[in-house]
Amino acid sequence: MATLEFLGIEKSYGSVRVLHRVDLSVADGEFIVLVGPSGCGKSTLLRAIAGLEEITSGELRIDGRRVNDLPPKDRDVAMVFQSYALYPHMTVRENMSFALRLQNHPETAARVDQAAEMLGLQKLLDRFPRELSGGQRQRVAMGRAIVRRPKIFLFDEPLSNLDAALRQQLRVEIKRLQAALGTTTVYVTHDQIEAMTLADRIVILQGGVLQQIGTPDQLYFDPQSRFVAGFIGSPSMSFLEKLEPGVTVGVRPNDARIVAPGSPAIQGAPIPGVPLPGVPLLGATVEVTERLGFESMLHLRLDAAHGGEPLMARVEGEPPRGRVSVALDRCYRFDPATGARIRDAGRA
Amino acid sequence: MIALLGWIGVAAADELTLWHAWRGEERAALEALCDQYEAAHPGAAVAPLAIPYESLSAKLEAAIPRGNGPDLFIFAHERVADWSARELILPLEPQETGADSGFMPSALAALRWEGRSWGLPLGVKSLALFYNRALLPEGPPQTIEELLADGQADQTAPDGKKIYRLAYEVASAYHAAPWMHATGGGIFDSADPSQPETDGPVRLGRPANVAAFALIRRMALELVPPEPSGALVNQLFNEGRAAMLISGPWFLGEIASGLSFGVAPLPTVAGRPAAPWLTVEAVFLAAPPAGAAADPAAADLARFLAGAAGSQLRQNQGRQIVARTDVPAADPVLAAFREQAAAAIPMPLNPAMAQTWEPLARSLRRLTRGAGTPELAAAEAQTAYEILSRPLPPAADPAPWLIAAGIAGIAGLAWLAREIARAPIRAWAFAYAWVAPAFGAMTLLTLAPFLVGAAVSLFELQGQDWTFVGFSNFLDILLARDFPVTSPLSFWSTLLVTVLWTVCNVVLHVGIGVALALLLREPWVRLRGVFRAALILPWAIPSYITALIWKNLFHAQFGAINALLGALGIAPVSWFASFSTAFAANLCTNTWLGFPFMMVVTLGALQSIPRDLEEAAEVDGADGWQRLRHVTLPMLAPALLPAVILGSVWTFNMFNIIYLVSGGEPDGSTEILISQAYRWAFTRGHRYGYASAYAVIIFGVLLIYGRAANRLAGKKVI
Repeated sequence: MATLEFLGIEKSYGSVRVLHRVDLSVADGEFIVLVGPSGCGKSTLLRAIAGLEEITSGELRIDGRRVNDLPPKDRDVAMVFQSYALYPHMTVRENMSFALRLQNHPETAARVDQAAEMLGLQKLLDRFPRELSGGQRQRVAMGRAIVRRPKIFLFDEPLSNLDAALRQQLRVEIKRLQAALGTTTVYVTHDQIEAMTLADRIVILQGGVLQQIGTPDQLYFDPQSRFVAGFIGSPSMSFLEKLEPGVTVGVRPNDARIVAPGSPAIQGAPIPGVPLPGVPLLGATVEVTERLGFESMLHLRLDAAHGGEPLMARVEGEPPRGRVSVALDRCYRFDPATGARIRDAGRA
Repeated sequence: MIALLGWIGVAAADELTLWHAWRGEERAALEALCDQYEAAHPGAAVAPLAIPYESLSAKLEAAIPRGNGPDLFIFAHERVADWSARELILPLEPQETGADSGFMPSALAALRWEGRSWGLPLGVKSLALFYNRALLPEGPPQTIEELLADGQADQTAPDGKKIYRLAYEVASAYHAAPWMHATGGGIFDSADPSQPETDGPVRLGRPANVAAFALIRRMALELVPPEPSGALVNQLFNEGRAAMLISGPWFLGEIASGLSFGVAPLPTVAGRPAAPWLTVEAVFLAAPPAGAAADPAAADLARFLAGAAGSQLRQNQGRQIVARTDVPAADPVLAAFREQAAAAIPMPLNPAMAQTWEPLARSLRRLTRGAGTPELAAAEAQTAYEILSRPLPPAADPAPWLIAAGIAGIAGLAWLAREIARAPIRAWAFAYAWVAPAFGAMTLLTLAPFLVGAAVSLFELQGQDWTFVGFSNFLDILLARDFPVTSPLSFWSTLLVTVLWTVCNVVLHVGIGVALALLLREPWVRLRGVFRAALILPWAIPSYITALIWKNLFHAQFGAINALLGALGIAPVSWFASFSTAFAANLCTNTWLGFPFMMVVTLGALQSIPRDLEEAAEVDGADGWQRLRHVTLPMLAPALLPAVILGSVWTFNMFNIIYLVSGGEPDGSTEILISQAYRWAFTRGHRYGYASAYAVIIFGVLLIYGRAANRLAGKKVI
C-alpha cells in the first residue's frame, strides 16, 4: 500500500503534448478511476505510473519517493492490461507465479494458491490461456497482479473486452477485492458506469487536461463544467441552448418530469424546485421511446416556442405518447463560450 | 533436341557434315579450309557446324548411334578408348587415308588404342613456360637447378610488392606431370622405360615420383606464391608480379595486352626434359548407321584438314599449334609450344587414369602447404588410388529383388485401387482435374528423378554397362568397408562433420538473425529501413558469388582477412591448412549467407508478438535478458522452429560453400555428405551407384530429422 503523487506531470511526443500539468494526490488505499474519452491521456498517465512511458516534466512520487527514473521492475506496481497480456506459452499457474519466480520468492506456491482461491481459479491452474474464457482470462490477469502484493494496482480498461453481464459481475469482484486487499488502485476506463461504481474518487481528463477530481456524487451532482456534466451520468445530460438567452441549460433525464396534460400543475401553480422563473412548464412532443422495462427513456422535442431542441426524460410505468408537458425539477447552467458552470445564488 | 538432331540428319544427307567446337580464328580457318576443299572437289559439299564444347560430346553420343550424327567431327583424343569401344568412331590409319607423313609422332601415338589409329591429329596442346621479357631480359632458365638457384634472390616491383620467380598451379596433378616424367616417374609403370605411360600398373608411390614430389615441394615453398589458384597465377603474371608462368596455349587469349612475353619449353631436370601431358585435337570419322557404308569422301576431307596445306592455314590463320613437324612456324610462340608438344607425353587413354587425379591432387595440396614429406605424399597418393580403384561390388542376382518389387507394386496398385474405389472421385472430378497438372509436374520433376536416383543406388557402372549390385553400395558405405571409420572418406566421419557443420551454422544463423531482428525493432535505431535492406543483401546475392568472394578473402597471401589480421599485429593464418580454420572459413561464409533468412523470419514473427506481453513482463520485474528468455523467445519458437528445420536441411546439403570455399581441404576433412556424394559421382571414376546410395542415405537422415523435429515442434507450438 502506498500513496501516489503527481506534481505537474507533463508528457509530450515530439511537439505534441498529451498531458498538461497534471497535479493529483492519491491517498493510501484509495481507488482512483481515470476517465475520459479516447485520446484524453488517461492510459498514458497510467503507463507513466508503471514506468512504461517516460515523463517529460514534473515529478511522480510513490510513497513520497521520486520514481521518474526508476525502471518498471523497481516500482513495485502491478498492472492489468486491457488485452490481459497473459503469457500464452505458460499455464495459469506459471502466469500467476511468473513475477515471484523471477525473484525466487519462497512463498510463490502459497501465494498463487491463495490468489487462485480468492478468484475461483483453483481448477484452472494447469490450463493454458487459450483454454480459458474471456472472464477467466481476466481473473488470471488480476490474479497475476494480486500474488505480487504490490504497492499499487494499475488497471488499464480491464473489462472493455467483456460482455455487459460479465462486466458487471467482474466490476463487483474488483471492488470487493480492492476493499479486501486495501491496495492503492488506479483504474482507467472510458465507461462512466465503471467509474461511478468503482471509484472512491474519479479523475476526469479531456485533451490531456485534468477537468475535475471528486467523488462520484460530487461529479454527478456538482459538475464544474459542461464537459464533466455531459460525461458523467447515463443517459447523459441534455443541453438546451435556446431556452434561456446567453446560457446553456443542462437537464438530466431524471430531472425532466412529465406532467399529464390537464393536471392542476399545468394551471400555473408554482412547483417546488423549478429553478427557471418564467418557464414553469414546457410543451413537448415524444419522438422516440426506449422501453427499459420498469422505466422508459423518452426522446422529446420541445415546442418551437421553447427553442425546439431535443430533451431526454425518464418515466416510470406506461410512457406517454404524443404531446406532453415537462417540468424541469433541476437544471444546470453553463457559459456557452467556455463551458464553465454558472453558479447563481439560490440555484442548484 | 531429338527433332533437331533429326533435322540435322536430313540436312546432312547429301553433303559432308563436320561437327566441331572451335571458335574465333580457329573456326574461321576451318571454314576457309572447307571452302577450299569444295573448290578443289567439284560436286562436294561440306557443312561445318559449330557446337558448344560443353555439349558436343553428349550430342555425339546421342546422335551417332541413331544415325543422326555427322560424317566427321573434331574433338580431343581423350575419349578415343570409350568411343572406339562403343563403336561411335571408325579407325582412321594415316597410311590408309594416304596422308603424307610429317605428323608429330607423339600426336599419332595419342590416337592409337588397342593397336589401331582412330583419327588424324590436327592440333596439340600442352603446358609450356611463359616468361616476362621485361623481368627476364636474358630469357628463362634452361634447367630447374638454375631456376631454384635464382629463386633465392627475390625481386621487388616498383610499388614495393614482391615479384615471384615462378607462378603455377603447384598443387594440380596435371601440372605435376612434367616433373614426374622428368624424374623418370609417372602414373603408369611401363615395362618399357622408353615408352612411358603406355602400359603397366598405376604406381604413384614409386621412388622416381618421390623425387618429383620433393622438387615440387621445393618449388612450392621457395618460388611459387601460396595457394596458387589458376586465376591468381594468371593475374600475377599479367600484373608483372610473376616472372614466369606455367600454362598452356589457352592462356594466350587471356594475356594482358602490352605485356612483353615469350614462351619456352619447361626447364629440364638433371638433363631430362620435363614432359607435360599432351592433348591432341583430332578429326574423327563417325560410324555410319548400321547397314550403311562410310562415305569415302569423309576420310578424304579428314586427310585434307590434317594435311600439310590444311595445317599451314590452320596455323597461320587460326593461330593453332598444329600437329605436324613439316609445317614451319614463323611465330616464335607457336614454335615454342610445338617444340614443347613434341617432347610431351600423350594423355593416356587408360580408364584407370581417371582415378589418379584426386589422389594426386590431394597429396600435392598437402605437400605444397609444407605438410608431410614427399615419401609420405607419394605413398598416400598410391593408397588413395587403391581405395578409389578398388573392384566394384560383385553382381547380385536381381530375381529376388524383382519379385519383391513386383509384390510391392501389386500391393501398391491394390491399395490405390481400393482408395480410388472408396474416394468419391466422380464427385470431386473437377477438383482432381485442377490438381492434375501440378501432380503431373511434381511426378515428372521430383518423384521420377528421385525414384530413378534411388534405383541407380542398386547398380554400379562397369565400363559401359550397369550391373545390379543390390545393397552392396549401402553396405560398403554404412559399414565403412573400404577405409577406416576415421578416414575423411568414410561415411561416419563425414556424417560427423556434416552434423557439426549443420549445428554450428544453425546456431549462428539463428543467434545472429534473432539478435539483429530484435535490434532492428528498437525504437532508438535510426535508418531502420536502410539497415533492414542492407542486412538482407547477402541473401539476395547468388551464393556461389558470395562463396568465391569469401574464398578470396581467406587467401593466405592476398586475402583481406589476413591483411586485417596483419594490421592488428596477428600473424597470417593459412586458412585451408587445418581442419579448424578451414571449417571456420566455411562457417563464416555460410553464416554470412544464412543469417538474413532467420532475421527476416524473426522480424515477421516479432510483429505478431503483442508489445503488451513484454510490457507485462517488464512490470512483473523481468530484466531485458529475462524478458527475452521467458517471453520473447518462447513466443518466437513457433515461427522459428519450421525455419530452423528448413535452415538445417539447406545447410546439411550446402554443397556450394564446401565445394567453392574449402573444397574439402585439408585432405577432404571438411567435406560434407553431399559434396562427398558429388566427388564419388564425378571425380572418383564415375561411381554413380555409390553416389546415389549416398544421396539416398542423406535423404533418409533428413527424413528422420524432419520427422523428429516436427514432432518436437508440434509439442512446443502454442
